[in-house]
Amino acid sequence: MKIKEIMRRDVVSVKPDDIASGALEMLFKMRISGLPVIDSEGKLVGMFTEKGVLRFILPSYVEKVGRFIYEENPKSTKKKFHDLNNAKVSQLMRKEVVTASQEITLCEAARIMLTQHARRLPVVDASLKVVGIVAREDILKALAKEAQV
Amino acid sequence: MLKKLSALIFITVLVNLFSRGVGFSPTQALALSIFSASILGTLFFWDFRLTFVFLGTSILLITRTIDLEHVIKFSSLEVILFLVGMMVLVGQLKNAGVFAWIVSLILRIKNLTANKFLLFICIISALLACAVDEVTSIIFIVAAIFEICDYFEVDPTPFLIMSVLSTNIGSSGTVMGNPIGILIASKSGLTFEDFILKAFPVMLVCLITVIVIFRFWYRRQLAEFNKRIGELGDNEMLVKLISVPPEKELKVSLLIFAITLVFISLHHRLELLLNLEGNTILLTIPLISSGLVMAWKWKKAREFIEKDVEWWTLLFFMLLFAQAGTLKYTGATDVIARSLANLANNSYAALTGIVLWVSTIGSSVLDNVVLVAAFIPVIQSFTGLSVNLKPLWWALLFGGCLGGNITIVGSTANIVALGILEKEKRIHVNFFSWLGIGLIVGIITTSIVWLALVLLPFYN
Repeated sequence: MKIKEIMRRDVVSVKPDDIASGALEMLFKMRISGLPVIDSEGKLVGMFTEKGVLRFILPSYVEKVGRFIYEENPKSTKKKFHDLNNAKVSQLMRKEVVTASQEITLCEAARIMLTQHARRLPVVDASLKVVGIVAREDILKALAKEAQV
Repeated sequence: MLKKLSALIFITVLVNLFSRGVGFSPTQALALSIFSASILGTLFFWDFRLTFVFLGTSILLITRTIDLEHVIKFSSLEVILFLVGMMVLVGQLKNAGVFAWIVSLILRIKNLTANKFLLFICIISALLACAVDEVTSIIFIVAAIFEICDYFEVDPTPFLIMSVLSTNIGSSGTVMGNPIGILIASKSGLTFEDFILKAFPVMLVCLITVIVIFRFWYRRQLAEFNKRIGELGDNEMLVKLISVPPEKELKVSLLIFAITLVFISLHHRLELLLNLEGNTILLTIPLISSGLVMAWKWKKAREFIEKDVEWWTLLFFMLLFAQAGTLKYTGATDVIARSLANLANNSYAALTGIVLWVSTIGSSVLDNVVLVAAFIPVIQSFTGLSVNLKPLWWALLFGGCLGGNITIVGSTANIVALGILEKEKRIHVNFFSWLGIGLIVGIITTSIVWLALVLLPFYN
């Protein structure tokens, strides 16, 4: 089975110039952890994720100072959450995105997800326009279906 | 990109033609031009610096400018292994929360005032830079500065600059503060005790001087900070903002680090006692400590080696040292040393001044390791000219460290700290706003060192 047979074609996405707080609201409503960021030409330019938002609101050095416990919420966190109302999606998105072509197999998509630590794969055509998206769940369901046949 | 590459090729060819014109042999000229290409490569194409040293060293080998045996000899494996050991040890200290604990100590300063804060961050920055490398130390100090400045809603930029300048000064105080410290110790035979007796006190004088300068230069910002403390009261929330569990791992890690420092400080005595070659203990102690850490934390051992050791930088150092060694191997540095000695009229004071100021100015724009690697074989070549080398080594150490304060790109600590400032606070410090204070601090501290090296017989 190929990816194109199981991918979702109605791709919900955000634009690079969208306001970050609005994009985060979309994540909450859809109960997903990330959305592709697509520019006006339909090309994939990044991925807006909950992890990216966490990176934005917490100081960048928390990953470098080693082990400690926050006993209080720092003042800066509240301020940075307010800053989400002025920040653009392009400021928070991850720019390196792992993609897949429509013709790859389920196992190849699974391999990419596993080795590249991707939760979802935007599917792109030859001109890098997004034509669909697959999540881990879609792959596993399709593999389970194949296994039953 | 193309312009820079053209400039690099043009200058490299020019160095080759010029050096042949002034009497260097073809092999010496080739060694000089390849080394120049590597220096320019780090200046113009920082991310490609390994490409330049890989290609350059290969050319030197293929053209028989140097042989494989000497490439290995000059690559200073002993310095690289020392740095590997220290990096593993620092990785464990970080994992155990030692540095976060230091940050929490700064956040707990009682009866905080602007002057007290200034004193604390300058002194801790300098002392931490003496014990671990400057980049590791600056990250933790910046974390503390940001938390305190966020709490009192003041601009962290002046405090960050003060901390970076103090870090660069502090990194000259011991063998471990900067890679150039261990490089100079390894090549000169200077011991940890020499550094404590001769580099540390001068570093302290420089630090005290810059604290006085900061109090004047940033008087408006310090007054503003005091005003905010008056308005917001004490730093109660900061006191309990973060905690580090005082677990066994933290205590054992601190103990291992303390024992390492004790053995490093006693290395010369132990080498005499055990009749070992100079600096053998100094260079092996970090390997013993990191070996023990990896035995203790064996599940993380591979992670320490793969993530905490900066192989990219260390490989660059190795091949750069080999290229600098080629200058000595071909005799190019003997020619340079003779010219410099003639220029200074064989006066050690003038020669010390030349080495100090050239290395200060050079390291304000170049990576100080590149500069020191280039200078070491030149200083070694003075041996044959009956010049007293000791003050020259100190001049090189201080020039390499203090020059980093002059410009925004002068040291890795500057670049790392300002990168965090830009990312976290979207505050961009431009070249000239740094240059104002950087140049004053650079000139004054280098002058202090110059006076000490020339006037105090202690350094001869």
